[in-house]
Amino acid sequence: MVSEISPRSARAQKQVDALLEREGIRRDRNLDYTCGVYDDDGALIATGSSFGSTLRCFAVSDGHRGEGLLNEVVSHLLERQFARGCSHSFLYTKPESARFFSDLGFSEVARAERAVFMENRRGGFASYCAGLQKTPAGKTAAIVMNANPFTRGHRYLVEKAAGENDFVHLFVLSEEAGPIPFAVRRRLVRDGVADLPNVVLHDSGPYIISSATFPSYFLRDDDDAIRTQAALDVSVFGGIARALGVTRRYVGDEPTSHVTSLYNEVMAARLPELGVDCTVVPRMEADGRVVSASTVRQAIHDDALDTVADMLPESTYRYFASPEAAHVVQAIRAMDEAKHY
Amino acid sequence: MEIKKPAAAGTLESSDAQVMIEPGDGKIELSLQSSVMNQYGRQIRATILETLERLDVTSAKLTVVDKGALDCTLKARVECAVFRSCDASEANIPWGGAVR
Repeated sequence: MVSEISPRSARAQKQVDALLEREGIRRDRNLDYTCGVYDDDGALIATGSSFGSTLRCFAVSDGHRGEGLLNEVVSHLLERQFARGCSHSFLYTKPESARFFSDLGFSEVARAERAVFMENRRGGFASYCAGLQKTPAGKTAAIVMNANPFTRGHRYLVEKAAGENDFVHLFVLSEEAGPIPFAVRRRLVRDGVADLPNVVLHDSGPYIISSATFPSYFLRDDDDAIRTQAALDVSVFGGIARALGVTRRYVGDEPTSHVTSLYNEVMAARLPELGVDCTVVPRMEADGRVVSASTVRQAIHDDALDTVADMLPESTYRYFASPEAAHVVQAIRAMDEAKHY
Repeated sequence: MEIKKPAAAGTLESSDAQVMIEPGDGKIELSLQSSVMNQYGRQIRATILETLERLDVTSAKLTVVDKGALDCTLKARVECAVFRSCDASEANIPWGGAVR
């Protein structure tokens, strides 16, 4: 019988920690639901958790293998995911455990040496790749950006890639993870690159730097977790690059955000193995200051939009100066800290 | 019956099957995985499709992970998923109607 484990019950949470530790699994810092199975003596013998659309932190006690406990736990979690309207679920697991999950209807999206990333839809990733707008053969590059919001630095990166290649696939992160909604970020990117005919705009969807593939991008976590997730994300990107014929990825160098700089480091090491060149472009400077979206957010936060006017393309500046942006500006002001960790 | 939203029924435990159903695009798309695929794959597929036909479902994406469920179990799980997906399970399950 699977039951919910309350985050407020210190005793139950301690049991979860102990079980995970015994089975050599790192407990995620970000979980929004945990469940477990107890034996007759009240000892926890199996557990699993979820966060957003991902299932994680599974463990079955050593003495209770082969009793189908994992099946019960996964069934329970999937049922709950469906009940709250989330039909597409993801999980990571150790490579040696992947076969258990593939028996439960999960299929592999990508793998790195220490983790496998799976989804509960067969062919989900293949159909995402097939659905992307393709470009004719030619020198093709890709850029992934959060554009939070779109600055002249982003513009500079896109312009450079568009100048050096026949086609550029530009992915805008579709995860809602900050005060500036995706629809606005996307629109500002679209307006900002409208004059570049060889740029194709895509939504990143659930597979590129989403809270499913790369939760630590959005929520604080330790470096080891960031590296593993970054490696998986890069490996997923490899699949997308193959589908689109992308041979080059442009990234802006990242002096201020810890997680992005780790991500860039992993990319630089791994992309070449996947047949993609990684070009790191130094930050653009305006008046001796590095152009950065977090500086812009900070300025909006401090009600000083005009101090960063030289960092913004006209379309972005116009948007934030207009009354239409009032609620977004309000949301940025309401934040404690506008910088990405 | 029209599939209006994603829904699921059943579990991944032995002798059961997990059925997930989503709105389709004009046809039935069935993705079936079974622990007894080699022995009973065809029979399982036929049972699922028959049940959908009986419920007059013509457009749906269906994912079934079968763990050796008997025909009656499969039918029950498919029916339940369909009813949940069009909110029929709240009040008006068509007993004796589409369900036989």
